Amino acid sequence: MDSLNSFGASADPKSAVMNQVRQEAAMNNARLLIEKINDHCFERCVPKPGSSLSSGETTCFTQCMEKYMAAWNTVSRQYIGRIQQEQGKAAGGGSGGMF
Amino acid sequence: MDSPTSSLEQNVDLSKLSDKDKQELQQFVVNESQKARIQQTVHSLTETCFKKCVTGAIRSGKLDKGEESCTQNCVDRFLDANFTVIKHLEQMRGGA
Repeated sequence: MDSLNSFGASADPKSAVMNQVRQEAAMNNARLLIEKINDHCFERCVPKPGSSLSSGETTCFTQCMEKYMAAWNTVSRQYIGRIQQEQGKAAGGGSGGMF
Repeated sequence: MDSPTSSLEQNVDLSKLSDKDKQELQQFVVNESQKARIQQTVHSLTETCFKKCVTGAIRSGKLDKGEESCTQNCVDRFLDANFTVIKHLEQMRGGA
């Protein structure tokens, strides 16, 4: 994390904190996505592990990875759309509720 | 997310912040946490819905039409189910 430190020290403290938080969040998000892609695509593409990853398995993996990211984007769009819709309803109804 | 705080303290002097900056930062952190929570939910929903909707052999990198609409329905029905649970819990609390 040396690059982060030098970067943080050069900027003003507020933007340094903001940038670091943003980077940590992005890293965390990416790490989670990669972890889940690995889990699911390994499950799907390598049912019986052989002595090496076959070319078929490798192709399956790259396609599975793209598919998983596409699913992530679809879920994200749908979920955020729904939250906004519900928030609109809640705002109209007056009560904010738990979320 | 435990390490960032310690590394932050080492290279940023937070005592130099003005009150306005502090307030702004606090709001920023609140917003970022909310964003992180939403992303977290998207991750777990993607996991659930991928398992349910992408069941055939994987032959392309895109979601096909059926998978796409299944995923959309999956998100909506999951949230419906969630709301149903919350509503029912409220009813139970009211009835007790």
